[in-house]
Amino acid sequence: MTMMKEELPEAAEATEVWATELERVGFVRRMFLARRWYGADWWFVAISTVMVLGFIFVALFPGLLAPFSPNELVGSRLLAPGAQPAVPVLIVPAESPLNELVDLAAPAGAPRPAVGVVQGLPTGAALNERAKLLDDEIKSAPEGLRLRPRINRYATTEEALRAVADGTDMAAVIESTEWAAGMSEQFPTLRQGGSITGEVSTAGGFVLGTNDIGQDVFSRLLWGTRVALIIGFSSSIVALVLGVPLGLLAGFVGGALDRLLSLVMDSLYAFPGLILAIAITAVLGPSMFNVIVAIAVLYVPTYYRIVRGQTLSVKEEVYVEAAKSIGARQSEILQKYIFPNVIPSVAIIFSVNVADAILTGAGLSFLGLGLPPTIADWGIDLARGQRFIQVAWWMITYPGLAIIAVVLAFSMMGEGLTEIFNPRLRER
Amino acid sequence: MSADVLCSVRNLIVEYSTRAGAVRAVDNVSLDIRRGEILGLVGESGCGKSTLGKALMRLHTGAARITQGELWFDGRDLMKLSEREMPDVRGAEIGMVFQDPMTSLNPVQRIMDHLTETMRTHEPEVSEAAARGRANELVERLGIRRERLHEYPHQMSGGMRQRVMISLALALRAKLVIADEPTTSLDVIVEAKFLDLLKELQKEFGLTILLITHNIGVVAEVADRVAVMYAAKMAEVGDVREVFADPKHPYTQGLLRSVPNIALDGAELYKMEGAPPNLLHPPVGCRFAPRCPHVMDVCRRQEPSFDPVGEGDHLAACWLFNEAAVAREKSHA
Repeated sequence: MTMMKEELPEAAEATEVWATELERVGFVRRMFLARRWYGADWWFVAISTVMVLGFIFVALFPGLLAPFSPNELVGSRLLAPGAQPAVPVLIVPAESPLNELVDLAAPAGAPRPAVGVVQGLPTGAALNERAKLLDDEIKSAPEGLRLRPRINRYATTEEALRAVADGTDMAAVIESTEWAAGMSEQFPTLRQGGSITGEVSTAGGFVLGTNDIGQDVFSRLLWGTRVALIIGFSSSIVALVLGVPLGLLAGFVGGALDRLLSLVMDSLYAFPGLILAIAITAVLGPSMFNVIVAIAVLYVPTYYRIVRGQTLSVKEEVYVEAAKSIGARQSEILQKYIFPNVIPSVAIIFSVNVADAILTGAGLSFLGLGLPPTIADWGIDLARGQRFIQVAWWMITYPGLAIIAVVLAFSMMGEGLTEIFNPRLRER
Repeated sequence: MSADVLCSVRNLIVEYSTRAGAVRAVDNVSLDIRRGEILGLVGESGCGKSTLGKALMRLHTGAARITQGELWFDGRDLMKLSEREMPDVRGAEIGMVFQDPMTSLNPVQRIMDHLTETMRTHEPEVSEAAARGRANELVERLGIRRERLHEYPHQMSGGMRQRVMISLALALRAKLVIADEPTTSLDVIVEAKFLDLLKELQKEFGLTILLITHNIGVVAEVADRVAVMYAAKMAEVGDVREVFADPKHPYTQGLLRSVPNIALDGAELYKMEGAPPNLLHPPVGCRFAPRCPHVMDVCRRQEPSFDPVGEGDHLAACWLFNEAAVAREKSHA
């Protein structure tokens, strides 16, 4: 009989508890409670946000993560991902004190040391070249040493190594990859010395391989992120800064101004996007700034049309009339009533637009119209990779994947965040 | 009669330009709103009552235009003010409550910001804190908890939003509040509460209210006087009790007879014949003539003037109360 109290159902409140608490929590909590609150899939937002933040971090500090500079020629051409670069190395008897090429130097009168190479491989040429170089360096020194190895050519690597093993030659020069691929087991009495060119074989090779001129694909990918984001963001911001006020003005003022602006914007919009961008960059010439200008011009009509349409519809809302009825002035109505109600759609276009601008930028460079080729850019890498697609799939695949990932991340985050921060969608 | 008139509309014409031509939604209407009264403005949909309400604040934009008339408010003609001066009148002197509370508040602005902004628009010298204080007092008077001021419009119920709209009008001590069908989208209980509140506020703040509605019952409940509009014209104006007890205009009579009534007891409800005229081509003479049960020849030829009938300030536009016309009609017959 005492249980009767507090059994009454709560009066039907217009607002659920979560909605009233909505404003009292922080950004992070909002993100994680998004699913319960808004029905948005928070992980969708979370994943894309992490991706976007990751891309931004990479774009800000590519030097921290990239092992090489993007334009540096760091290894052999067309190395597959993870493959060891072939470096000409010295193979010497295990007990020999020899290690570097310069150790073979001998006094001027002494017999020239015999070094074996395999006929027809670039190792022979490399040896010749390096030896001459080193010889020039040391011959003027007071010790009077000369480095003039007698080069014996063999038909196969095995023969060359056998010659070292039986003492015919003092050393052999072969490619490090060959030594690693079985030769070291076959000749246990030999060991690998240093590289004769001074080039070091990296521990894991090149993570994503090298391109046709021996640049590291991975490093170029990281540095390319910066270029992609700069183009994406700057051109979208320029387009937004031009398109939004024009759209607001045209929609709000209407009349002749609206007709004139719409005519201009529609004629811009009527051009196929990439073709217009090609035309603009072709006239302006290749540079980062010109690419940004070309893409911005391309997207101004997008903002203009969306904002104008939204303004036209918001302008007719009762709350705008109500605002007038409490004496709000035109400028105030535009600022406080129309602009905030138009912005959510602008946010959506912005994120999609960044993604789109990155794509267009890559497209321009792919066609060779965008950036000067010295800049590490995904579009340029794609174009270059296209020519080597049969021998080096990694050259075109990784920049392509990077473009897909960035575009996806921006679109996903844009849509997710709009859902969370648009108060009008909270009514659910 | 002139001293206690707050707002006086004289020969007002509001036109909508459409593809088919100009439509007069308010045609040569004159109306006095007295200080401190609740004036009910009734009429069926499309008769121009909302257009008249908006015209009082010169809120029309786009297709609608006031082509003629005077709008005297508190001693000055609003028609003579420029478009730049009107915002000072709107809100500060005349407030408006709209029909649909769901859409009449800015969805991305908190209730508090609505109130403080309204105050500071008209009184820039008021500090933000002072405005907040006033907003708090005001909404508490209207039965909204202070905490809820920090919410967005969508978090409130329809009745609450309508109270917020009222508080916007009260925030600046508007002398006249135009309530355009304020209870149409509310349910009956909320409607009753809202009407009670309206009456209380009217007494407490000495408000003058123009209550636009198509609900005769609401007018009977709260209004002091009633104005009946038909097809863009004013048909009858008078004291509520008098008009309801003794309606003069045949349209008012029909309107009152067609209100559902428990005393009807199963009998068929009165239905007025015909439909309102197309305002693009209004009938010559009295606009109600095609539907009028007491129609006379003169009604189809000449428009009746808006004259006093019966006692007090009871006015109606009908030939039936013009003795000369009635006499002529009888002699013809």
